[in-house]
Amino acid sequence: MALGALLLCKMLFIVRLWSLIRAGAPKDLSKPMGSVCKGVVYSYTKAMLPHHKESARLHLPTFTAGLVFHAGIFLSILTFIWFIVTTVFDCSMPQMVTDSCGGFLVATTGCGMAILLKRLFNRELRALSCADDYISNGISSLFQLATAGYLFFHEPLSYYIVASLFFLWLPMGKTRHLLYFFAARFHLGFFYGRRGSWPITRE
Amino acid sequence: MTTPPDSKLQTHLNSCVRCGLCADSCMYYKAYKEAKYIPAAKVKIVTAAYRRFPKKKISEKMLREMVDLLFGSCTMCGRCVKHCSIGVDIPYLVRKGREIVAAMDKVPSSLQATVDAALRSGNNMAIPADEFRDTIQWMEEELQDEVNDPAACIPLDQPQKNIHYTLNPREPKFFPLSITAMAKIFYAARERWTLSSKFYDVTNYGLFSGDNSAARQIAGNLYDETHRLQADRLVLGECGHGTRASRWEGPNWLQTACDFEVLSAVELMGEYIRQGRIRLDKTLNQKIYTLHDPCNLVRNGGLCNELRFVVQNAVVHLVEMTPHGVDNFCCGGGGGNLAMSEYNERRLKTGAIKAEQIRQTGAKVVITPCHNCVDQLIQLNHTYKLGVEIKTVAEIVADALILT
Ligand code: SF4
Ligand code: SF4
Repeated sequence: MALGALLLCKMLFIVRLWSLIRAGAPKDLSKPMGSVCKGVVYSYTKAMLPHHKESARLHLPTFTAGLVFHAGIFLSILTFIWFIVTTVFDCSMPQMVTDSCGGFLVATTGCGMAILLKRLFNRELRALSCADDYISNGISSLFQLATAGYLFFHEPLSYYIVASLFFLWLPMGKTRHLLYFFAARFHLGFFYGRRGSWPITRE
Repeated sequence: MTTPPDSKLQTHLNSCVRCGLCADSCMYYKAYKEAKYIPAAKVKIVTAAYRRFPKKKISEKMLREMVDLLFGSCTMCGRCVKHCSIGVDIPYLVRKGREIVAAMDKVPSSLQATVDAALRSGNNMAIPADEFRDTIQWMEEELQDEVNDPAACIPLDQPQKNIHYTLNPREPKFFPLSITAMAKIFYAARERWTLSSKFYDVTNYGLFSGDNSAARQIAGNLYDETHRLQADRLVLGECGHGTRASRWEGPNWLQTACDFEVLSAVELMGEYIRQGRIRLDKTLNQKIYTLHDPCNLVRNGGLCNELRFVVQNAVVHLVEMTPHGVDNFCCGGGGGNLAMSEYNERRLKTGAIKAEQIRQTGAKVVITPCHNCVDQLIQLNHTYKLGVEIKTVAEIVADALILT
């Protein structure tokens, strides 16, 4: 069931990606002043660092919690793939590694919950939010917790149910920024790079 | 949602995660501390509008909200973009939202009147041609006095010159001495240049109204006039959004690459300094100066360093604002807000951030290469009792010129 959900998830992302590719690269007839290539590289790298990003600097705990939370999501997805591999090839991971991963995922779940609580208790953030925000955060946190639980207790049923829900939601909720994040950074790099605004050569 | 054809639009409509971290980057939120002013709230309403438009109807209530948020609560300054966790191009989406509002004929009437005036008369203040000619003639006499040369001139409608120079209509209307300042720089550089008596307006409020056909027509006026005058270069006077409209957006509106060079007055002054065509004595500008970065020239136009190169060659003491450059706060007058009297109170309140930035520098003169910013800064100076002078870059460069 979870594998089916993962395949469906992949298919939906491929459809979205295809739609972006079919729409083509941005077209701009103005004469460039800077380098698109340098702008795109900057967009994916330095522009994301707290030193260059005021929002990250001003909200360092949230920024850090967000990074850890996302690391947890990626680790959970990798762990899921690893579970499939071990089922097919009958191999396993050393106990120390699974325990460390489990421990880390408990921490990342904590970060997810902290972000969710912030959304619930911050008046302005609550006003900005819609159901998708709560569902996306809830299901991503749950997936990490379930992964940790499976690593510790080897209880497959609840894990695979949660994993299925997560993979089904991933391309539909705001979690689809898994794809659009990269596209958005590309477009920004293209725009500001072309105009000679990025990379920022002076602070 | 219907899939829009443009990959940039698809991307940005699907990217916001409503983390709210962009809030503090926006002067509207900083001034009001209300959720509706968070940049993401503007993204949210545009995304919602795209779910409906054009297939389904947008309700009157939603349309009113769109006008208030997209016109009255955003200057399209782009400060939030760099600080967005994902990289959502918020002003791009705001402009897209404005396109929807324009398509439904709901652009704030004052802004629409500015666009209409430009379409009707060739300049956004509907200055009659005779009045413009008289002003230019008067400024020519000022120039002759200033450089002590009766042959010094401000050429009008002269074909086959190197430069077709453009103005913000605020110059002939309210600040004619800035025309003399630039003319003095041309004089010192021995430039072959001309103004057009019909299409000299560098501004393009179609950029802000969201009406692409108006924007195209206004941009086309300048391009056609440059062709008619057979000028080699179109030099855009000191106007942030006008430069953006003609330099960056115009070719796309017109669907054609320019066959002449388009550059801003700041770049031209930088070029003159580098080539030694003008010489400056910065000790002639001895006060404490600060620099306001117009969003459309610096953050959205790549002129951060060039602007500083010119200014640092023209003044002794430059104190930067915090933050400055690509991170600078908008003055509050951008996005067409100066033209929208409906939002005057809000514009002045959000401008408090800029006023405080200026105060902190201790400067006596604020330099900015944008006449719209000049206008807003003059109002902030008055409202917040800053006690500063506001000058354009051409004015301080002209003041530092060594005429041989
Ligand atoms: S920072 Fe970006 S992703 Fe987060 S709410 Fe603001 S616009 Fe959306
Ligand atoms: S573009 Fe400027 S005014 Fe508009 S939301 Fe972003 S920071 Fe605020």
